[in-house]
Amino acid sequence: MSKRNTPPLRSSGINTIQINAAREMHAQTVRARRMPMPTSGITTPSVQPTAAPATPPRHICNNPNNPQCLHCGSVIIPSPRATLPLEDNPSISINDWTISSRKKPILNSQELDIWENEKLKGLTLPEMIFGNNYIRIENSKQHWSIEFNALDALKEVQLQDSGIRVAYSNDWINSKKRQNSTNGAQRFTNDVNDDSLNIIHKYDWTYTTRYKGTESSPESKFRLDNDQKLPLDKLAVHDKILFYDDMILFEDELADNGISILNVKIRVMNERLLLLSRFFLRVDDVLVRVYDTRIYVEFDENVVIRESKEFEGKYQDVLAKHRLSQSHDPKAALRDSNWVAQNTPMIKRQCEIIQF
Amino acid sequence: MELDECLERLYKAQLLPEVTVRALCFKLKEMLVKESNVIHIQTPVTVVGDMHGQFHDMLEIFQIGGPVPDTNYLFLGDYVDRGLYSVETIMLLIVLKLRYPSRIHLLRGNHESRQITQSYGFYTECLNKYGGNSRVWQYLTDIFDYLVLCCIIDDEIFCVHGGLSPNVQTIDQIKIIDRFREIPHDGAMADLVWSDPEENNNPTLDHPDNSGQHFQVSPRGAGYTFGRSVVEKFLRMNDMNRIYRAHQLCNEGYQIYFDGLVTTVWSAPNYCYRCGNKASILELYSKDQFYFNVFEEAPENKLLKENSMNDNALEDSISNPVANRKLIADYFEDDSASADGSTDPEMYIFSDVYQARSASNRHVDYFL
Repeated sequence: MSKRNTPPLRSSGINTIQINAAREMHAQTVRARRMPMPTSGITTPSVQPTAAPATPPRHICNNPNNPQCLHCGSVIIPSPRATLPLEDNPSISINDWTISSRKKPILNSQELDIWENEKLKGLTLPEMIFGNNYIRIENSKQHWSIEFNALDALKEVQLQDSGIRVAYSNDWINSKKRQNSTNGAQRFTNDVNDDSLNIIHKYDWTYTTRYKGTESSPESKFRLDNDQKLPLDKLAVHDKILFYDDMILFEDELADNGISILNVKIRVMNERLLLLSRFFLRVDDVLVRVYDTRIYVEFDENVVIRESKEFEGKYQDVLAKHRLSQSHDPKAALRDSNWVAQNTPMIKRQCEIIQF
Repeated sequence: MELDECLERLYKAQLLPEVTVRALCFKLKEMLVKESNVIHIQTPVTVVGDMHGQFHDMLEIFQIGGPVPDTNYLFLGDYVDRGLYSVETIMLLIVLKLRYPSRIHLLRGNHESRQITQSYGFYTECLNKYGGNSRVWQYLTDIFDYLVLCCIIDDEIFCVHGGLSPNVQTIDQIKIIDRFREIPHDGAMADLVWSDPEENNNPTLDHPDNSGQHFQVSPRGAGYTFGRSVVEKFLRMNDMNRIYRAHQLCNEGYQIYFDGLVTTVWSAPNYCYRCGNKASILELYSKDQFYFNVFEEAPENKLLKENSMNDNALEDSISNPVANRKLIADYFEDDSASADGSTDPEMYIFSDVYQARSASNRHVDYFL
């Protein structure tokens, strides 16, 4: 879709965006007005931490809209999006490390035009691009950062045919060819000829991407070391989460033939963080695919580990595993990428490390 | 149970009993079996695109567009799947159709199908809301087979869920389709609910003869995209001037193709409760006067969003309709409390106290 002009709206009717905005502003003003009124009988309960912290907190909350962390008593999650044009870029700093994130709606038409004609020329864009979202892990002392964003992820999508087809493709094509043979004598009335049955658009419509993040350094500082492992024992401990975010970078419903979605989430504890970037592809009745990239950072040792795993399997093979559980609703499990990753064979693993 | 009583309950997002659902579907089947595949209606009418189970946003549509029967409505399909309230959405539309048959018209979308609804959430929602059996899902998917395929407004505007088909040159060819069945994978009926327009303003070496303006096969290996020339041909042969359809997400609520010959109307704001997109309804006052009324998500959904930050939580919400109802009740209770004049400093959503409390309630996941 190369043309996305929005014509000027005709003057009939009321523009409800303005009504809604006014409604929200009024409600907010009324609530704000009630804030300073004194009330008898209502006292703020004093915060009593269960135990005095063994060490003073080392992190710094950089959150304009979120509550200040009180003795690590609150989990920092970005506030609901403000109704005013107030920017909310929550971040947290520990030692030399700063972790920040941003979540915004999907790209609008103007932004999509730029992405389609300039930044990602040749790729038919996925339906939902959260192009302004990112998660960034930065070390100011080492002048290094790694960021996960939608634009760089989509740049990894191949501009050539993936060879994957939807489940009924063969039947569909053969049916069309038979119709063309039958209508051969009346070809002038048919808008479809044999040439039209060839697929013209050359791009990977599954949007498969092996994106592993964007480093700020021109040369990657990661060193391959497949003997490395993520320290799952440390990660399994339920340390207090100081910062958490979970977002989608892009998503396409493959015209209701499955789903292709890239999701990134991060949790930051007092001594370490874990980021998971997951590409999940399901083509109904054809295949499922999960590409995971995990970033682990140990703050005190300044170690960064990046582990990538690829899982892929036939749809029916994976579905059969759920049928064994006698579920009434077997296809629900295939909407859960966690379940799919656990029940699909891993075909590739790679591990890289940075020791600053 | 009387229709007005059903409406009263449905407007409050209360589920109807299974026996009532069965009776209502049977009644609607009797009504729809007499309708042609192509229905003819007159302006004024308001055209609504995909809803995808976003029930509170549909109530918002009736707020901004006017309630039935004061306003005539044409829904272009895709009432279910993806949203949390597909059952409430489709049941309200069914009862409105039974109660005001000439004021509201429902077309069939590609999601009104047994195969699609098993993969995209409606089947799961029916199981969870009706005690673990699929009878309600069967009643509703049976009635889906009876929905009409196309609508013509003022003899000049063609409305359909998806788009055109190479097997359809004239309206009469649509009328002879046997529609009382599951949507097939190919053929005219499939194309009418599945095909997409594709604008191609830059002829390339791949097809220098502008064949992109004709029907092309989707790169997925099935299904068509259609270009400007086939639209012009279809409109000319049938003496019409434009097409309205749905089926594709539009970030600003609607999308115009081919200088207005084809327009997509999309009516699910903040799609899947996370896209942040706008939605619109098309208010047709006459065949030449119309207005895209653009809107955002209903306030109820904002409250839901705050408590359900991701898909897993959304799935949990589906499993707990009681919790959902309590949530809505709490929301309105707070409003009534405010109306009583009681002061509650915690209501200020940006105060530290509110944020600290809501932060501790928000979802975090010890993922590995």
